[in-house]
Amino acid sequence: MLLTTAAYFIFLAAVFFAYWFAARYRLGTLAVVVFANYFFYARWDLAYLVLIPAASTCDFLIGNALHKETRPPVRRLLVTLSIALNVGLMASVKYLSILPWVLPLALSFYGFQSLTYTIDIYRRDAKPADSYLAYLASASFFPTTVAGPITRISTLLPQWSKREMLTSQEGGRALFLIGLGLVKKFLIADYLAETLVNRVFDLPKLYSGAEVLAGVYGYALQLYYDFSGYTDIAIGSALVLGITLPRNFNRPYAAQNISDFWRRWHISFSNWLRDYLYFSLPGLRSRWKIFAYLNLVITMVIGGLWHGAGWTFVVWGAWHGIGLAAHRAWNALHGNPKLTLTRGARILCGLATFHFVLIGWIFFRASSVGVARDILYQIISGTISFANITPAFVLVLIIAAAAHFVPDRWYAGGLELYCQFPYYAQAAVIAALAVAIRYVAGSGSAPFIYSRF
Amino acid sequence: MFPKKTSLAIATLGALLLLLDFAKLARPFTLSEVLDFRPHDIPNVEPLAPIPATNRPVTAFKHPIIEPNLMDPHDNLRAFYLALWRTELGAPGAITRVLHYGDSPVTADSITADVRSLLQQHFGDAGHGFVLIAKPWAWYGHRGVEAQGKGWRINAATQVRAKDGFHGLGGVSFEGDTGATSHFELAEDHAQMEIHFLHQPGGGVLAVEAGGQKLGDVETEGPDKQPDYRTFPLAAGAREIDLSVERGPVRLFGVSFERNTPGVIYNSLGLNGGQVQSVVRYFDKPQWTAELQHQHPDLVVINYGTNESIYADYIERSYPGELRQVIERVKTAVPRASVLIMSPMDRGQRDANSRIATVPTLPRLVEIQRQMASEMGCAFFNTFQAMGGEGTMARWYDSQPRLVSADFTHPLPAGARKVGVLLDQALESGYRQFKAREQRPARGAPLSKVTR
Repeated sequence: MLLTTAAYFIFLAAVFFAYWFAARYRLGTLAVVVFANYFFYARWDLAYLVLIPAASTCDFLIGNALHKETRPPVRRLLVTLSIALNVGLMASVKYLSILPWVLPLALSFYGFQSLTYTIDIYRRDAKPADSYLAYLASASFFPTTVAGPITRISTLLPQWSKREMLTSQEGGRALFLIGLGLVKKFLIADYLAETLVNRVFDLPKLYSGAEVLAGVYGYALQLYYDFSGYTDIAIGSALVLGITLPRNFNRPYAAQNISDFWRRWHISFSNWLRDYLYFSLPGLRSRWKIFAYLNLVITMVIGGLWHGAGWTFVVWGAWHGIGLAAHRAWNALHGNPKLTLTRGARILCGLATFHFVLIGWIFFRASSVGVARDILYQIISGTISFANITPAFVLVLIIAAAAHFVPDRWYAGGLELYCQFPYYAQAAVIAALAVAIRYVAGSGSAPFIYSRF
Repeated sequence: MFPKKTSLAIATLGALLLLLDFAKLARPFTLSEVLDFRPHDIPNVEPLAPIPATNRPVTAFKHPIIEPNLMDPHDNLRAFYLALWRTELGAPGAITRVLHYGDSPVTADSITADVRSLLQQHFGDAGHGFVLIAKPWAWYGHRGVEAQGKGWRINAATQVRAKDGFHGLGGVSFEGDTGATSHFELAEDHAQMEIHFLHQPGGGVLAVEAGGQKLGDVETEGPDKQPDYRTFPLAAGAREIDLSVERGPVRLFGVSFERNTPGVIYNSLGLNGGQVQSVVRYFDKPQWTAELQHQHPDLVVINYGTNESIYADYIERSYPGELRQVIERVKTAVPRASVLIMSPMDRGQRDANSRIATVPTLPRLVEIQRQMASEMGCAFFNTFQAMGGEGTMARWYDSQPRLVSADFTHPLPAGARKVGVLLDQALESGYRQFKAREQRPARGAPLSKVTR
């Protein structure tokens, strides 16, 4: 059940009413959420009804044992067991055929969230859940399971206890985010993909260098609007239940350098990689500084491989890892130049960072390294023809690029205005969006790019 | 406690969407979709036809497979089948030659490469055949041959055309001054290479090297413009070939690579944006006739239509006449050759509901091709129908692995292979039927019929 389908929104409305109907009783709200979680998974495949509860129960029990256990070897064994369980689950669903049919939803985001629970308890950074139901509600919380944002379970658990009331401000914000997510997904991301991006990445040699370049720019924006659109819907979906999820994007293409980019792009993932992978790698406290750089590359290559077992993702991960290591080395040698840069230099840094990221996206999107190479060759060829670029594509590209740089206060102003609307106006705005989507984007959306990871 | 405002907003939104649904302004939806637990989010898995990897000769079946999409009521493919039979029997010099003209998929040697590979597996590999000397389009390619050219002025019949209409066998003319070069890398050994060039007043000299050894020069000076050919033997292991213009100008059309063994040569002759119109209007008739005659083809495949398929008026008014002219030219030039009209693949576009649907005019174009083939005594292969008919693009786009590009026009490698297998199966099935038919009345004496 994609987060953009009518089925999902009917499901969400039903969960909303059931949840607030049961809101006086913590057990009631938790039961509604757990039921919703498993219903959501079952809509993808009934096999999840066995896999997820079994894995969650194991992690819950391991968490309790980790909390009580004081012997370090046993604790290490327990946390290793949890890591093996979750990594094994992710890998088996994603890379191995454990069932005679293909499971449509990779369990990566479920696995990442579950690991925050046991590793945090192992590190004594968090306490175990006081209720089995609260753990089940958090570990498989339906808005986050398709593609995040990866939410630490320790930040979700307390939110089940403080249920009082959804303010009209929160409710308005939730609806606004859902509407915004739909616009991003249908009217920008899918449009860019359909009109040029997919074609260029399928058969780059059919297009001129200029068209391929436009397609690559289009992809950068498509990916951002697709993923951030999904995240907006996910955050909005959680917020209608009064649950706050972490921010996942912060105008990433405005980044001044590659480290800055990773503080703005898929924030929950980069934080997860930093906290649970990078800090866990050996050698970080060694006197040899090389480990700090090497571990960056290793972390990003593993991050790349998580997206898929292919050389394109290895290249993408290595590209970013080397970029991050080079930036850190530069800072170590010259200090952080951020404060001393002129406005012009900052713009140049932003452009350079964006194009560095863009080269990475070519490998990220291409079906093989050969196709990525063809795309780069075509761009370098300098051939110019705009026969396959429509004015509408250019317009959407410009709007998408400009919207990316909209100041936060404009966004906040729009949100504030929407929240002040009476309920019927709030509903009318989203209904109008549904009509616009019907006419502009058509009948079906492509799956979210990150849902396959 | 209920969040009143948000509840009302959601309830109102639901009511509005129901109204919109009633007015058919929103996307149609039924409540039962929410409770549908079938795993419909999984893309269709389109089974790929396996490529039979065998070198066994094709046997004549007692009950040959009926191939509904290959129509040959006039037994026009007889010449091709007889040539295949000779090739299959391994008669010395028994090479079956196919010329496959087409548009962009053929330009990239997709589909044709798969048919070539299959026919060569079953009947023998007589070489790669014709290859252009540089890439007029980045998209151009020939599987098994790497070709790179530098310094050539390229005139393709579908782009910046040669003013004299001399576009050679492949529809592209290359003119180079001193220093222009081409480099070829072959995946396997070949026995000989033929250079297709133009004799012309003031023509220069082309140097030919293979495996680092100079093979000779091609003198292109001549009293008048005339296509000509020069063959060079290739030593074993000479897989890197270089052409360089020692003195300009030199005008080339391509090179052909052949082996001296019985087998099939399947020439891929694609033009990006190619249409029957390109042949009728921009191929110089006598020169193209001479090129066709030089090839002695056993089968000429005319595989245009994709680029024409979106022009409804043109299809009705001019297309049949132009297709007729192309067929007439081929039949006049090489009357002994079989001619196969191959319909385009399905082509999709988004309809009003944004669903991928077959271009409305495509079935009409295919029907015109079928009628014209029948009228002109040609065979007809209905690629469109063989793929699955209307809506195939949508199915192939949604399949896993995806078989067609997001332009709903060009096949991806897996899709091209599927179409290639379909064409090969149709031709080989037709060949088996032909053999079975021929062997029935006069058992034990088929050779007399296949000896040319």
